[in-house]
Amino acid sequence: MSATVVGQSSAKPSEPKNYLNADHTLKSWLLSVDHKRIGVMYLIAVTFFFFIGSIAAAMIRYELTSPKGILLSSEVYNKTFSAHGILMVFQFLVVVVPAVLGNFLIPIMIGARDMAYPRLNLLSLYMFITGGFLILASFVLGGVDAGWTFYVPLSTISETQISLCLVGIFITGFSSIFTAVNFIGTIHKMRAPGMTWYRLPLFIWSHYATAIVVILGTPVVAITLFLVVVERGFGFGIFSPELGGDPVLFQHLFWFYSHPAVYIMILPAFGIISEIISCFSRRPIFGYRFVAYSSLSIAFLGFLVWGHHMFLSSQSVLQGIIFSLISFILAVPSAVKVFNWTLTMVKGSVHFSTPMLYALGFMGLFVIGGLTGLYLASVDTDVHLTGTYFIVAHFHYVMVGGTILAYLGGIHFWWPKMFGRTYSEFWGRLSAMIIFIGFNLTFFPQFMVGYLGMPRRYHYYYFAPEWQFYHLLSTAGSTVLGFGFLLPALYLTYSLFKGKKAGPNPWNAKGLEWEYTSSPPITENFTQPILVTDSVYDYNPAEDSKMYEVDEEATVEDMNK
Amino acid sequence: MAADHGHHEYTAGGAHAHHILPQKTIFTIFGFLLAGMVLTIWAAFYLPIPNLLENTFFMQSLALGIAVFKAYLVVTYFMGVKMGTRLVKIFAIGGFVWFFVLFVMMADYVSRPMEPVVGWEKVPSSALPRDTVKNPE
Amino acid sequence: MSHSHTKETDGPEVYFQYEDIEQQQETYLVGMWSFLVTEVMFFGALFLIYTLYRWKFHDDFYLVHEQLNWKMGGLNTLILLTSSFTVALAVHFAQKGNTKLQMRCLFATILCAFGFLAVKTFEYGAKIDHHLLPNHHFQYGHVEGEEEHHVESKWDKMLPSVLQVEKKEQHGNPQRARLFFSIYFTMTGLHGLHVIIGIICFTALMILIKIKSSLITDYVPTEMVGLYWHFVDLVWIFLYPLYYLIPK
Repeated sequence: MSATVVGQSSAKPSEPKNYLNADHTLKSWLLSVDHKRIGVMYLIAVTFFFFIGSIAAAMIRYELTSPKGILLSSEVYNKTFSAHGILMVFQFLVVVVPAVLGNFLIPIMIGARDMAYPRLNLLSLYMFITGGFLILASFVLGGVDAGWTFYVPLSTISETQISLCLVGIFITGFSSIFTAVNFIGTIHKMRAPGMTWYRLPLFIWSHYATAIVVILGTPVVAITLFLVVVERGFGFGIFSPELGGDPVLFQHLFWFYSHPAVYIMILPAFGIISEIISCFSRRPIFGYRFVAYSSLSIAFLGFLVWGHHMFLSSQSVLQGIIFSLISFILAVPSAVKVFNWTLTMVKGSVHFSTPMLYALGFMGLFVIGGLTGLYLASVDTDVHLTGTYFIVAHFHYVMVGGTILAYLGGIHFWWPKMFGRTYSEFWGRLSAMIIFIGFNLTFFPQFMVGYLGMPRRYHYYYFAPEWQFYHLLSTAGSTVLGFGFLLPALYLTYSLFKGKKAGPNPWNAKGLEWEYTSSPPITENFTQPILVTDSVYDYNPAEDSKMYEVDEEATVEDMNK
Repeated sequence: MAADHGHHEYTAGGAHAHHILPQKTIFTIFGFLLAGMVLTIWAAFYLPIPNLLENTFFMQSLALGIAVFKAYLVVTYFMGVKMGTRLVKIFAIGGFVWFFVLFVMMADYVSRPMEPVVGWEKVPSSALPRDTVKNPE
Repeated sequence: MSHSHTKETDGPEVYFQYEDIEQQQETYLVGMWSFLVTEVMFFGALFLIYTLYRWKFHDDFYLVHEQLNWKMGGLNTLILLTSSFTVALAVHFAQKGNTKLQMRCLFATILCAFGFLAVKTFEYGAKIDHHLLPNHHFQYGHVEGEEEHHVESKWDKMLPSVLQVEKKEQHGNPQRARLFFSIYFTMTGLHGLHVIIGIICFTALMILIKIKSSLITDYVPTEMVGLYWHFVDLVWIFLYPLYYLIPK
C-alpha cells in the first residue's frame, strides 16, 4: 500500500519499546486500555473457554464410541453437550475473531492510535469474563440440560442451573454489543486521513458488517433469554402455552439473533481469509468491491432467514417456503467470496506458508459446509435431515472448519506482528495439515450417520449398532483434531520465548499494520501520523515471485535442524 | 502526536454540533408533546363520534399515530437528528427501520391458517415407515 | 501508560486517540447512537411480543387493561415529557456554557425521574396488593366460594381522589390476564430499570460537573446522557397508549 509517513522519522532501532514491554506490572495489564493488550487478554480468555469446551466435546465423542454409552448417564450427557454448545458458541465462536484479532488489528489497520472508546473496550473484556465465569459457575453448581438453544418450555421447567447460565450469557451478550459499538465508532471516525472506505482492508469491511449484525441482533436474544429467566424466577408466563403464550415465539426471537450469529462467527473469518489469500498469492484481491459488498449483503440477508431453523416447529408452511427461498439467495454472496478468493490465486505467486494452508483448508471446508447447508435450506430435505447428525456435521463444517481454521490462520499470520517472534514454519504447516485431516475424519462420518438417521443429542444408539463404525471414525478423528489444536498452543507458546525475532514485515505483506509499525507495535501504534494515498492491496506477483526463493531455503534449513 | 494536516478530509462534510437548538424551539416542541398527550387521552375517552370510538382499528391507529408524531418530534429536535451529521441520521433512521424487520415474525402467525397444499394432512405412502424400521434385519 | 493526553489549547480535553475535538465529539455521538439502535431492538422484541398477543387476544386484553389506572399513566407521561424538555434545555445551556442553569435543569430532570418512580411505586404496589403480579400469588376474576373479589390496597387509598379510578370488576379470561400482566410488568419494569439507570447517570454527571472533574470538559457528556434519556421517554410515549388506553 502506498502511504507516506509524514514528518521526520525518529525510529530508534537500538531501543525497541513496544506495547508488551511498555510496562511490566500486573496492574498495567489488567487495567490497560490499550487495544493490543486487551486483544492479548482476550486471546488468553477465549483459549481458556475453548479448552473447557473441548473437554466437553471429548467426553461426548468418547461416550458415543459404544452404542449403549460408556461413561455418562443421560442427564450428564445432556449437561455435557449443553456445556459444549454454550461455551463454544457464546464464549468462543461469537467473540473469538473480533475480540482477539479485531481488537488488535482494527485500529492499526486504519491508522488510528487506539479504539474509539478504550475504556468501553476494557469494560467489555471484563463483562465477557464475568459472563463466562457465571456460565462456568452454572455448570459447576449442577449443569444446564436444555442445550445451547434453551428452547422453552424445557428451559422454563428444567430444574437445572439455567437462570444463572442465562444471566451469564446476557452479560456476555452485552459485552459483544459494546465491542461492536466500539468497532462502529472506530471504523467510522478513526480512519487515518486518506483511508477512504474503498481503501480499507477487507478485514475491516467484514468486521464492520459483523458489528452491524451484533448491534441489531444481540439485544433481541438478550431480551428473549431474559424473559426465560423472568419466567423461571418469578413465574411470569410470556412463552407459557397454558396462558395462551406461544413457545414458537421463543424460537422466532431466538433465531432472529442466532441465525445472524452464525454470520457474526463467519464474517470476521472471511476478512482474515481475504487478507491471507491476497498476501500469499501476491495478488490484489479479485473484485474488491464485490467482496466488500458481499459482506454487507450477507449481514443484511442473514437477518431474513432465521425461519429455516423452524421448518418443523409449527411455523406456517408459507413462511417456511419464503425462508427457504431467501436462504438459497443467501448462498450467492457467500459463493461470490469463495470465487473471488479462488480467482485471486489465479496467476498469483501462491506460497504455501502456514497461514495460507489454514486459509486453503478453510475454503475447502467452508464450501462443503456451505453446500450441505443448501440441503438444509430446502424444506423437504430438511424434514428428513433436521435434528440428525447431518446438521451437526454441517454446522461444525461451517463453524469449526470455517471460523476456527480462519482464526488459526489469522493467528499464525499476525503472530509475528502481535509478539514480534516467528514460530517454526515446519510445525505450523504440520499442524494445519493435522487439523485438516482430523477435522474431516471427525465430521465427514457424521454426515453419513446423520443421513442414515442418527438423531443429534442422543447419547446411545443401541437400536442401530451398525452406526458404531461411523462413530468410531469420528471419535478417532476428534482425537487427531484435538492433537492438532494442541500443537499450535505448544509451538506458539514456545515461540514467545525462543522464537526468532520477526522483522516488522516477515511476510512482505501490504497494509498499514505491516508497513508502518514495528513488531510488536508501540503503544501508540505509529510513530508518526499516517497519510494514506493508495489502495491496500498493491501486490505485484511478477515482482514478488522471487522473494520466496530465499525464504524457501531458510525454511528447508530450519526443517533440517 | 498531534498533527492536524489533511484531517478535514473526513471530519468535514457534516454539520457539527455547534448548532444549538434554540430555546424557542425547545418550548414549542414541548408544547406539541403536551398537546399530543392531551389529544391522545381525550380521543380515547371523549371522542364525540361514537362510531369511531367503537372502531378498534381507527382508535388504535389514532393513538399510535399521535405517538409516532411525538416520537418524531423527540427524535428530530430533542435528540438533534435534524442538525446532526448524515451518519447520525442514518443510524437514527436505520434503527427504527430495522425494528420493523422483527415484525416479519407476525407473517408466520398471520399465515398459519393459510394452507397451500390441499389435503396435505393425508400421509402419502412414500412417507410411511419402511419395513426395515419394523423388522430390522 | 496510555493515558497521555495532548492538550494543545485551553478548552475541551482531547483524548490521545483522537486528532481533534471535533473528531472526538462526533465519535462519541456515533457510539451513543449505535447503542441506542441496540436499545431500540431490545425494546423492539418486547413490542413485537406485545403486538402478537394483543392481536391474538385483543378482547381479553381490552377487558384486562381496565385494571390499569390510566390517570396514573397519564401523570407519568406528563412527568416524562417534562423531564425530556428539561434535558433538552440542559443540553442547550451546556452548549452555551451556562453551567448554573444547566445544573438546575439536570436537577429538575432527576426530580422528574424520581416522580416517575414514585407514581410507578403506587401503581405497582396496588397491582401487587390486588394479586395481579403474575407470580404464584396471581389471582384474577371471580373465585368460587367468594362473594365478591375485592382486595384492598393501601396504595390505592393513599392516592388523592382525582387520581383514583372507579373500582372495576375483573372481567376476561384469567389466564390471558396473567399473560397481559406478564408482558406489562416486563415492559414497564425494564423501562423503570432504564429510568433508574438514567437517575444514576444524571447524578454522576452532576457530581462530576460539580467537582469540575477532568472527565467532563465540554457539553458532550450531557448530550449523551440526554440522548439516552430521550430514548427512555420515547419508549414511554408508546407504552402509554398501548397499555393504558387500549380501545375496545
